[in-house]
Amino acid sequence: MRELALELWAKVDKEVLIQIVVMLVKFGVVAVGVLQIPPVMVWVERRAPAFMQRRKGPNRVGIGKFRLYGLIQSLADTVKLIWKEEVVPAGANKVMFQLAPIFAVFPAFLIASAIPFGNDFTVFGRTFSMSVIRMDVGFLFIFAISSLAVYGVSLAGWASNNKYALLGSLRASAQMISYEIPLGMSLLPIVIIYGTLDLNEIVLGQAHVWQWGIVRAPLSFMLFLICMFAETNRAPFDLAEGESELVAGFHTEYNSAKFAAFFLGEYVSMFVLGCLCSVVFFGGWQIPFVSYDLLVRLCGGYTLIASLIGAVVLLLKGAFWMWFYVWVRWTLPRFRYDQLMSLGWKFMLPVGLANIMITALWVAVARF
Amino acid sequence: MFQLLTFHALAGLITLCSIMVVASRNPVTSAVFLVIDLFCIAGLYAQMDAHFVAAIQVLVYAGAILVLFVFVIMLLNLEVSKAAWRVTAPEMGVLFVTLIGFVVIAVMMGLGQTGGQSGNMTPEAVAAAGGNTYVLGLLLFTKYLWPFELASILILLAIVASVVIAKKDKVEKTDKALKGKAVASGSR
Repeated sequence: MRELALELWAKVDKEVLIQIVVMLVKFGVVAVGVLQIPPVMVWVERRAPAFMQRRKGPNRVGIGKFRLYGLIQSLADTVKLIWKEEVVPAGANKVMFQLAPIFAVFPAFLIASAIPFGNDFTVFGRTFSMSVIRMDVGFLFIFAISSLAVYGVSLAGWASNNKYALLGSLRASAQMISYEIPLGMSLLPIVIIYGTLDLNEIVLGQAHVWQWGIVRAPLSFMLFLICMFAETNRAPFDLAEGESELVAGFHTEYNSAKFAAFFLGEYVSMFVLGCLCSVVFFGGWQIPFVSYDLLVRLCGGYTLIASLIGAVVLLLKGAFWMWFYVWVRWTLPRFRYDQLMSLGWKFMLPVGLANIMITALWVAVARF
Repeated sequence: MFQLLTFHALAGLITLCSIMVVASRNPVTSAVFLVIDLFCIAGLYAQMDAHFVAAIQVLVYAGAILVLFVFVIMLLNLEVSKAAWRVTAPEMGVLFVTLIGFVVIAVMMGLGQTGGQSGNMTPEAVAAAGGNTYVLGLLLFTKYLWPFELASILILLAIVASVVIAKKDKVEKTDKALKGKAVASGSR
């Protein structure tokens, strides 16, 4: 038995094993980090409108005398959601009802693993990437996995056996499918300009502020911004929930931990799209006016420290977009459904196609 | 070693999901298992260093076509088949052919004939030429430009045809209504 184990151990490629272990550790860090977003965002989502409407908002819950501006409220909410009794409606499809929240959470976490949180770093003579999986098709990977997010929503609505839930899920899935196309169209010019599908390469191509995606492709940024809200079903495109007409949309029948799972999926995908926006249009982990070489020199040549600083920079940029979501939510009224559809198909799609043509011509002429 | 491990895990999942697609009584359950199935097949492509094909597989099949499947099944509200599961004659035929296929594969594996000859596009050669996407794009837009464009025209035809078929009834109805109006006003 021992000899067999030793023989097996000798066959294992040690370099591959190290890469796999590092990848698992990175995935753990990203997954746990991403899990912290919803509780904080629940708090922001309540305090930000209070700030905008000149009231106090929830600021009471605290531990003893430490109120921490009501941040403990999120902890209380989480505990409540987890310990609540789980109710499955009598007419529901039991299996699909349980599976739908998993389908909603899984794509969001998988996309988070493609975001480059910093430049590659070298430790003990081995080079690792700061994204969980470094792929030469990172861009396509994000599109592919985000197209799976529809299943969680549509299955949830169908399995709950509720009119409002089904209507909400049909609305949400139609919206997500429709806006996936302009989303892809808006990012194609970036691929043409930087000539790569590797997200880290795109960040490396944005070394200076005037090389950022927003400077080189401003129209793409506008289209992406609109799609970002539509893909995550956020206001002003939150027709999937539409409290005044659909109760709560596709998650009407969900409560306790399964409801929390939908919440988690929504906020994680919001954050991932915000990070993607920063990566593509705002230089990702690059600090404005500080080149990467200078940063490495300031860190004493340790690329790991430089990469961690880059991760903090990207998280700050992502945090801005999280704030932006809430800001827009309390600024713009909800769209009507036909307005949403005609905006997507009759305006964004043609503009996106024209944008690709113009960018391709421009790049071809510039090369010529 | 790891490749073998992931291959067997994926292959097992694919087999299990494929059986579930056929065996489950609820059409929606079948569709969901088909999604997982296609996702695992993309995993197989990725394992063979064909990252581009894997991403496109998920994007097109699992992300687009199967969404349509699920939509249609939900909207048609298909009944769950309550009949006891009895194997019919055609199903027996399918089972028989599958068994023969398994036997053939087993024999071939025993003879060591499954490998085939590797072409000139080995993973190393592709990586040296600039990566998966680059090589594929270059071939599609130079050597295979005409077949590629013809295929897209074919897809365009299918889209136009489906719109025409879907709208046919409506167009005829409005035509009739207009004619009826014309007749009515003429008689007056």
